[in-house]
Amino acid sequence: VTSLLSESGCYSVVLKARELVFASFFLTLERFPAWQVGVQRRKCEMSTMFADTLLIVFISVCTALLAEGITWVLVYRTDKYKRLKAEVEKQSKKLEKKKETITESAGRQQKKKIERQEEKLKNNNRDLSMVRMKSMFAIGFCFTALMGMFNSIFDGRVVAKLPFTPLSYIQGLSHRNLLGDDTTDCSFIFLYILCTMSIRQNIQKILGLAPSRAATKQAGGFLGPPPPSGKFS
Amino acid sequence: AAGGGKRSRLSRSWPTGPSKSLSGARCCGATRPGRTRTGFCNLGQDEFLDVIYWFRQIIAVVLGVIWGVLPLRGFLGIAGFCLINAGVLYLYFSNYLQIDEEEYGGTWELTKEGFMTSFALFMVIWIIFYTAIHYD
Repeated sequence: VTSLLSESGCYSVVLKARELVFASFFLTLERFPAWQVGVQRRKCEMSTMFADTLLIVFISVCTALLAEGITWVLVYRTDKYKRLKAEVEKQSKKLEKKKETITESAGRQQKKKIERQEEKLKNNNRDLSMVRMKSMFAIGFCFTALMGMFNSIFDGRVVAKLPFTPLSYIQGLSHRNLLGDDTTDCSFIFLYILCTMSIRQNIQKILGLAPSRAATKQAGGFLGPPPPSGKFS
Repeated sequence: AAGGGKRSRLSRSWPTGPSKSLSGARCCGATRPGRTRTGFCNLGQDEFLDVIYWFRQIIAVVLGVIWGVLPLRGFLGIAGFCLINAGVLYLYFSNYLQIDEEEYGGTWELTKEGFMTSFALFMVIWIIFYTAIHYD
């Protein structure tokens, strides 16, 4: 009796009791079909999740193609756009070549000539952006409606498992409207954004609809701070 | 071949004549056995940057599959991708092709060409394979 009442005795009794409780608990569960159903349900959930993952990639491809299709119908096939684009590319390349060949000791007239060309290019880029504005409104309108629909379909559903824990300010997006605290659960919107970022530009490049680099570089002045004019600033 | 400090595989003279590249009379030379004679001959700046871009996308797909299958988790995976992506491309154009980076807009221009798109593609492939193999 005294050995049982000692500290080590009590501890070993508790451990033994715990073993017996767990053993009987699991033996009981195994007999119940509900536990087996739970395992099957979990397997189903996983398959549904992967199906959702693939579906979102497919949706992203379709929406990227839709966006390019709308832009082609409203913008790319118009003569005005084709003319402006060719003009901008020609001017951009000409300007780049001129800037490469000009030296520090270039005359004032040459510098003024380049500034005039830059101004002309900036105006053409602005006109080009105005032409694209039409499609941007149409796409924005379509996609707002589509996003509303997809958000309600995938609301609260875990569509993928992230192999990393996102940073706290990204969790607002990756764990949006999801239950639980598992931050590796991925929501629809996060996966959709990643898919769009990767797929859209590749589709544009494959279809040959991406703007040229020279034009994009020079166009930076319209949408943001102008590119430095280097030797003349 | 035209100027520049570095001796470049793209700048060796070629029997067929000068290229139409932006850098003027610069040509390529296929000196390694097995490479075609056309190699990178006549590649302008835009074309070469396109090569870099698509090479990046291929690396992103390959690493995404490998990382998802292993699996490699956490920011180690992301950091590993960034290092390998930038490192492989840098070694490719700096050591293998030995180009003069200034001809193509500088090392930074070559490093950032297509990087964000390849990063997004890598993340998508990584997530898909990780979800499929380790959670399905």
